[in-house]
Amino acid sequence: MKHIDCQNYIYLDCEKGMCALSKTIVPIDGNGSEACSRFVRAPKCSCCVHFSNPDSHNLGTCSGFEKPDWVYGSCGAETCEHFKMNK
Amino acid sequence: MTNEEKLNELLKQRGIEMPDNANISVEDIPNQAEGCSRLMDIYYMLKNTVDMEYPYWYNRVWQQNSGDILIVRRAKAMAAALSHLTPTILPYEKLVMNKTRNVRGAFPFPWVTASFFNAQADALMSEADAPAESEADAVSIVGAGGGNVTKSYGNIISIAKKFGIRKEEIPVLVKVSKSWKGNSVEEMSQRYAQYTPQYKLEQDIMDSVLCMFDSYCIPQGREVMNYYLPLQYGWDGIIELCDKRIAETMGEAQGDGILGMSRGYYYVAMKTIAQGMSRWCENYARRAHYLASIESDPAIRKNYEEIEAVMAHIAHHAPQSFRQALQLTLCCHFGVVNEDPQSGQSIGRLGQVLQPFYDKDLREGTISEEEAIELLEFYRIKITCIECFASAGVTGGVLSGNTFNNLSLGGLNRDGLSAVTPLEYLIIEAGMRCRTTQPTLSILYDEKTPEDFLMKAASCTKLGMGYPAWMNNQVGMNFMMLNYGPEGMNLQDARAWCLGGCLESSPGCFLPLNYDGKITWIPGGAGPTAGSGVHFVGLPKVLELVLTNGMDCRINRQILPPHNRALDSLQAIQEEWVNYMNLIIDCLNKVNNLQMDIWRKYCPPIVNSLLKPDCFTNGRDLGMMGGRYNATINFESCGTVTFLNALSSLNKNVFVDKKYSLDQMVDAMMHNFGFKTSYETGVFSPDFREATPDAPKYEQIFFDCINAPKFGNADWEADQFLKWYEDVMFDLTRQYQSYYGKPLYMCQISVSTHGPQGFVTLADAAGRLAGTTYSDGSVSAAAGTDKNGIYAIFESATVYDHSTQQNAQMNLKLHPSAVRGLQGTRKLLDIVRAYMRKGGFHVQFNVVDSKMLRNAQAHPDNYRDLMVRVAGFTQYWCEIGKPIQDEVIYRTEYEN
Repeated sequence: MKHIDCQNYIYLDCEKGMCALSKTIVPIDGNGSEACSRFVRAPKCSCCVHFSNPDSHNLGTCSGFEKPDWVYGSCGAETCEHFKMNK
Repeated sequence: MTNEEKLNELLKQRGIEMPDNANISVEDIPNQAEGCSRLMDIYYMLKNTVDMEYPYWYNRVWQQNSGDILIVRRAKAMAAALSHLTPTILPYEKLVMNKTRNVRGAFPFPWVTASFFNAQADALMSEADAPAESEADAVSIVGAGGGNVTKSYGNIISIAKKFGIRKEEIPVLVKVSKSWKGNSVEEMSQRYAQYTPQYKLEQDIMDSVLCMFDSYCIPQGREVMNYYLPLQYGWDGIIELCDKRIAETMGEAQGDGILGMSRGYYYVAMKTIAQGMSRWCENYARRAHYLASIESDPAIRKNYEEIEAVMAHIAHHAPQSFRQALQLTLCCHFGVVNEDPQSGQSIGRLGQVLQPFYDKDLREGTISEEEAIELLEFYRIKITCIECFASAGVTGGVLSGNTFNNLSLGGLNRDGLSAVTPLEYLIIEAGMRCRTTQPTLSILYDEKTPEDFLMKAASCTKLGMGYPAWMNNQVGMNFMMLNYGPEGMNLQDARAWCLGGCLESSPGCFLPLNYDGKITWIPGGAGPTAGSGVHFVGLPKVLELVLTNGMDCRINRQILPPHNRALDSLQAIQEEWVNYMNLIIDCLNKVNNLQMDIWRKYCPPIVNSLLKPDCFTNGRDLGMMGGRYNATINFESCGTVTFLNALSSLNKNVFVDKKYSLDQMVDAMMHNFGFKTSYETGVFSPDFREATPDAPKYEQIFFDCINAPKFGNADWEADQFLKWYEDVMFDLTRQYQSYYGKPLYMCQISVSTHGPQGFVTLADAAGRLAGTTYSDGSVSAAAGTDKNGIYAIFESATVYDHSTQQNAQMNLKLHPSAVRGLQGTRKLLDIVRAYMRKGGFHVQFNVVDSKMLRNAQAHPDNYRDLMVRVAGFTQYWCEIGKPIQDEVIYRTEYEN
């Protein structure tokens, strides 16, 4: 579990973000990138029930819409009308 | 009593009140709002970042709607892309929305250009598959130059020498790009460009960097936004209007057999995008709601709740407050800049557009002046975060990383009276407190502009951020009438002009905003891009090719066909230069016309076609001339004064004094007057010279070239060439038509192209060495050559009528001591006024100490927030390339 996968993560740039709870800058990689105990999984395609068959680059299939299509796992799904968290 | 106090007292006795802030020093200016300060602290740490959310959704929905009517298909793709962006809200900000989920975010537009990514697919995938460096390395390496990511590190890959993209997104970039292989605007236009007779010539010209870039690279921008429709109707109101228009027009040609039937599709597309914009706003409202729900700090929670309320309201309804209106203009702005790679999508006269909203809030006591300033400070940060992803050459070599979102102030209203509003004072105040690169500010100077407003603006210019710049309102209006008169522009619309991009005069109009129980005529843009014609031809390089019979000796290649003419007079040289220019413009214009025609057919503007009058009225998009004025496409030049000085030296040394033969002169140029080239030394400043053993051989000719008459000294012997050049180019550019079937005209800004174009140009007859940067702007003196003071430059610059072209650009550098105190402010305004009264179009200032710039070049980490004026824009020093840094340092500095 990493900060970047948490719903409380605020995107800043390609190397870091901000924790909405602590207001601290948190890295995406390396030391300090692990999430804390207050982690809440953020909606992303990779954790959606409609996501399947990911390849080695985490490109899989999205079957949530009328026409299935490829999608990438790290794509944000907070705004997706068909997102459903994979329990 | 000090002299300044005495002066103040004297003025007061005569009934002239100086504004409180005309005499302020930096220390007197209130700090920026606390929230802004926190945001800027974050900003300075940020990396420019590319991510793939927008391109992914655009591509997916575009491909899934294959076969649909094109404008509707594109609207669906854009609406899906905008409404699927992850909303990012920082704890301290009061205005929200970004281009992407990252704060300084951008993304590629493979539908415009995909060839680089497709050509580099394997290399990019290799980088993505490579194991990361050690975790410690991955987090400890910092890209050089402020937010620029110039090298790959850890899990981040540098692209366009500016942006970082995470490795896991590279496969997405490659896969999306493959969908556009062969059918991007770039490749489609290249296919058809091959049918033009001079295609090979065009390719050679581009290879030699005689011209900086192709039109498809940034097809929109250099124009002025228009916010009228959403401010008046809101997104729901626009959707209702679309339904009404669809019912009226679908299936009806109504006398127009060519485009009549297309109106129905246009309104379907506009309804689609209005729904997308609405959902995009709703997403921010939802995110703010979530953040409020987890927030323990009452003040920050309240802030989130306010954001939620604002975004929920403007997602559907016309704004009912200043804050809502300001937020809605931001929403429109981000919507437009996400359509294409863009630079110069300008804000226009925002302080006049939003004054009715501010008036009402002020009257009702729902906002104070300080609260309005705070919002305007937040606005500055939002605009500063707008990035453009284009090629490295365009991003760095042309734009210097800036996106030129210009905000204009002043000018005249529809009735011909001063248009200055109280809100515009606050916009300047916000610019003084919150010092950011964008929006740059432009004063439309008019003799009717209130004195205290001008003094306030001069006080701001003095602070050294490079803004506001000063433009001549009457000259701008005259250009409007000259250029758009044939399209029916009247005096009222001419008064609505302002700056698109850094200095592109753009047409506008006034529209009646019905708000707060009254009608206010608000200005806004009324045409498509006032750029996107031929992009930056290096005038000195063309002269070099005249002297070398078309051979580019730097790359040892015949670029232009040999003219084989004996150059036995200056007139012969000038004639061959004009012949070469004709050849160059002819072939470049055809290819660029194709690029832009294919762009408008396959990537028509959508949000911009909703906003710009008279698109919605006529049911026609901006690409198909739905805008009110369309003679907007220009020819951009670079290196004017470098070119003129070279002509002047040839005239003096070869043809008048006959001290040297032309062969001797060319030989000296080819041997760089016996000095090392800047390619060898790595220094691009004209004042740096390192001798080779050949130096003594060329010592005298170099001396004579350096001492030949130079532009900028009120010396007709040199200045005559500016008059000749402007007259020739006025006629020459108007011989060529844009893809809109309208004549071209000349745009004379250098942006940052004087760096790379100087780089490819050998030494010239004025003593400028190979590879060094050209003179900036179009009427700035070449650095170090103006010996007779500022007023002599003004004399030189105004030997022709500035209203014949889109602009004329002058940069001046003043030492802070020259404008110190109230008298200094007055002096600065006097300088501006003197130039405007002589008919000068534009002047901008760097008020800075060159010693500090040298120190900043040596120790960039100590100057992260230092800003300088380049040529039409302000940029962080540490994010500018070295050639331009050298050029800014070397500009003549006026101390008194």
